[in-house]
Amino acid sequence: MKPTILTIDDEDVILRMLYEFLEIQGYTVLAAHSPREAKEVMADHTIDLIITDLQLENSDGLELVEEIRQLNPDIPVVLLTGVWFDEHTIDAKLSHKISAYHNKTAPLNELGVSVARLLAKSSE
Amino acid sequence: MDKTFRLVLFLFALFSVSLIGVVVYALQNLRRAQQATQWVEHTHAFMAEVNAALAANRSAEGALHAYLLSESPRQETAFRQAFAQLGEHLEVAKALAEAEGLPTTDLAAFETALIARADRARELLAAHRAGDHESVRETLNREPETTEAEITALAQRITTSQQELLRERDRASFLRDLRATHALYLTAGINLLVLITGGWFIRDNLRTRSREAALLARTNEELEERVKERTAEIAGKNQLLRMENLESRWKTQAVDHQLRYNNLIIASVRTPIAVITRALNISRVNPAMERLSAQTVTELVDRPLAELVELVPGSESSAGLDVIAAALRAGQDLVDHPALLHRPGRPDRKIQLSLFPLRDSDHIVGGVITLYAPPD
Repeated sequence: MKPTILTIDDEDVILRMLYEFLEIQGYTVLAAHSPREAKEVMADHTIDLIITDLQLENSDGLELVEEIRQLNPDIPVVLLTGVWFDEHTIDAKLSHKISAYHNKTAPLNELGVSVARLLAKSSE
Repeated sequence: MDKTFRLVLFLFALFSVSLIGVVVYALQNLRRAQQATQWVEHTHAFMAEVNAALAANRSAEGALHAYLLSESPRQETAFRQAFAQLGEHLEVAKALAEAEGLPTTDLAAFETALIARADRARELLAAHRAGDHESVRETLNREPETTEAEITALAQRITTSQQELLRERDRASFLRDLRATHALYLTAGINLLVLITGGWFIRDNLRTRSREAALLARTNEELEERVKERTAEIAGKNQLLRMENLESRWKTQAVDHQLRYNNLIIASVRTPIAVITRALNISRVNPAMERLSAQTVTELVDRPLAELVELVPGSESSAGLDVIAAALRAGQDLVDHPALLHRPGRPDRKIQLSLFPLRDSDHIVGGVITLYAPPD
């Protein structure tokens, strides 16, 4: 059965490209524009991995991650954002909340490698 | 219509013609055989009738002589019956000869001789009934016109000639049968050859078709395999192309995103900022600069910086904006330099100007001007 990935971003163009990319990689992709939509999707589907933006409309992606963690502490979360974080900030502030961090300027291929690695790890 | 089919059709036609020919020939032979059999039977009957006529003549004459001596009614009946049978045998023999076209010369002579013998018998019988015994004796002693030996020889000649005809007919039948046998063997041989040839061509054609079908199937399989490989290759390339296209679009959106994000940051900064070229022309301003200078971005961009600001005379440099130009060339920052800001329709305003050269790698490509306007 194909792993299901939930992508969360308030920009349609980002969601469309992520959908296309992950679908080529062989995943089932679900999309949400906001934390509220994301929670609705998670209530109806079993999600294997979440890719979320940091800055969401009327919300913060990290707050959503914390809420998700409370519901499902084992689900891998990838933070995909246009905001630059240095390694120190990632280690100090983000690493305990998220499974991986990717900047939106990085190639999609790197995101694909990271997703595959996290899914393989979570299925062990 | 292919060549083999035409050939098989031709062989079949040949076989059919040959078969029809044999059947016609056999029917003709059968009819001839029937005719020959009938002819032989009639010939034998003819000979039997001639011999019977000869025997009847002898029997009749013997009975007549016995009657002349004894006047026995039984003998009278006997010679009359014998002469009657003689007439019947002669009529039947003539009818058979006429029906079968047999030679009639000897038969006519035979009949004439027998008629003469019959006339002599009638003459004897008439003399006897008249009681003229002298005449009876004279007639009996007189040499008959045709002797018994001559009549027998005539009958023998007729029989011999018919037997000769029978032998000729037998020879002809034998030769015809021989020809028929040869024709049958020849036709059977030709038909067998035609069948073998047709069978060989059909078998050869079937083998060829089978080989061609196998070759076609193999070619189709190879073609399908190549199509599958090519399809997989194209699908792979298509996916690669999609990925490359996606990466390209992703990079473009990332750049757009960063540009938009940077613009947002610059626009949100409260410090008036202007970007200038190495020629000291304004290339970009932020909203704070628009507010402070009381000019729109359209009015400010592409204008010389000297039309917007003027360094205060008497300060470190009084030569217009030479200090800024020199700092740009040297790649040095210029911090809080006193200056005047020109505002259209309003009095100039004292400000502090700072310059930060913009470096792209090792090259100075322009500078960032920030203004600080102390409260009036």
